[in-house]
Amino acid sequence: MNKDKIRFLIVEDDEMIRMIHKDFLRDLYPESEIFEAENGAQGICQHFEKNPTIILLDMMMPILGGEGFLDILEEGHNCNILTNKPKIIVVTAIKDVKELMSIGKRFAVEAVISKPLVQNQLKSLLEDWLS
Amino acid sequence: MIIPTHPNNTDFLSVPVLDLEKALSRVHHKKDLLKRVIDIFIQGLSEKTDLIEKEIKNQNWESLGILAHSLKGSSWTIGAQQLGDIAFAMEKASEKKDMIFFHHLFQIFKESVHRFLEHGQNLKL
Repeated sequence: MNKDKIRFLIVEDDEMIRMIHKDFLRDLYPESEIFEAENGAQGICQHFEKNPTIILLDMMMPILGGEGFLDILEEGHNCNILTNKPKIIVVTAIKDVKELMSIGKRFAVEAVISKPLVQNQLKSLLEDWLS
Repeated sequence: MIIPTHPNNTDFLSVPVLDLEKALSRVHHKKDLLKRVIDIFIQGLSEKTDLIEKEIKNQNWESLGILAHSLKGSSWTIGAQQLGDIAFAMEKASEKKDMIFFHHLFQIFKESVHRFLEHGQNLKL
């Protein structure tokens, strides 16, 4: 993956957390493009329009949550409507272990990180993928 | 987690409303960013507290669960441990659809918001 052409999509309903993620990613990869969505529905639209390479996904959001977002993405791929398979990092405040394990098995989900986000965890993941 | 039976409980009042070091570490010690983040957090607190009042009347458990979950995540992120802990308990109460307990916790949450806002006015970054 070319780190100059990374397109991040942050799908997170909390403006404050989006701002922290965005600042962190911009510091780490100044040449990357960063897009934002306030819920899963906006996230799907952004995915179609921007074709992100890496998605940071919250799970519990109004209108359409992370589960719904992943359902639509998976369906889109099964129907060949979507061809680009992004790497998805779920960043969630869900604490239930079974639920977290089940999220980790979902389509395109490469990692599940607990909130509050320890940014070094995210950094080392991204460095592994982008080195 | 300290969830008091009454907001005047001394344990409740002794818990710091904001762990500034933690908050700064979340934003890589950028004070300007932290100021903006806290402003957004305070605005969100006010909006979500109003929404919770409304959804309690509607007994909309799905929305109450999402609101409590969201408050938990943002509070813990900003280092407002007590607010996050109470929001976590509210989220659990919403899963059990226990309105009496949820309402009780919400009163404590509002007290904690009040403490946070008082502290926020004196916060020097």
